[in-house]
Amino acid sequence: MSALFGNPLLCYQLAALTLLALGLLGFCLRRTLVGMLISVELMLNGAGLSIVAATQLSPATAENATQAGLGQLGALLIMGLAAAEATLVLAIVLVLAKRFGTSSSDVVAELKG
Amino acid sequence: MTLDFLTADAAAKALFVLYFLAILVGGIMAVAAKSLVKAMLGLIKTLFGVSGMYLLMQAPFVALMQLLIYVGAVSVLIFFAIMLTRGEEEGRPAMGKKILAVLAAAAPAARVGGLLLRHAPMPAGTPVEISLQALGQLLLTDYVLAFEAISLVLFVAMAGAVVLGFERRLSK
Repeated sequence: MSALFGNPLLCYQLAALTLLALGLLGFCLRRTLVGMLISVELMLNGAGLSIVAATQLSPATAENATQAGLGQLGALLIMGLAAAEATLVLAIVLVLAKRFGTSSSDVVAELKG
Repeated sequence: MTLDFLTADAAAKALFVLYFLAILVGGIMAVAAKSLVKAMLGLIKTLFGVSGMYLLMQAPFVALMQLLIYVGAVSVLIFFAIMLTRGEEEGRPAMGKKILAVLAAAAPAARVGGLLLRHAPMPAGTPVEISLQALGQLLLTDYVLAFEAISLVLFVAMAGAVVLGFERRLSK
């Protein structure tokens, strides 16, 4: 346990990995489209955490501001993309719910062979 | 009771464990809760935990943006989606599907986790905070293309959402 705490970068990356694993698990388990969207948000958070940890805690960033800013701005762009994605998914779920009367991914399977 | 034993290092470790627990419990709630509203509350708990980790990494701007954009905007959107689809409960998934889902999540996690444990570089010193001014300068000089691109993406997404919402009424 103390060896694990000795490397902060490893701790943060493992936390990000936990988010990724939980998101993947939920994405496979959930049956409603909104539940799947929640899982995708978990995974996107993991990505942001990993990027910020990699730049904030890497040895090279102390003297290079451009590189250090890249991580924080990258996380900001991920948040923007997540907001755009959530808006579009909301609109798509609404159209699907109007057409099929449900937002369950088992019912909305017209392309299934 | 005195708090002398609370050095900065120990406090950081304790806070990290606290935030990690928030992420873990919230994530499990988001994945396993039967009602979607409870899953959403779990997601919000996770978002707060990740925001706390940003604060620990000396990135307060990202932490506040996380609260503003995710907790303030994205989760409200998802709550709207839950309400407008009447917040359906979902049944228990089949056992076979559960096993496959755990495998699908554990395989990449084990692979990446193994690589991390073996090859993670050791960071030197503590992270430095980058001033908001420096971040703004970067956004308008080095990364101006990404800045413009994200504004275009947001505009297209909003326009697309409006078009999708109006489609039904136009066809009548």
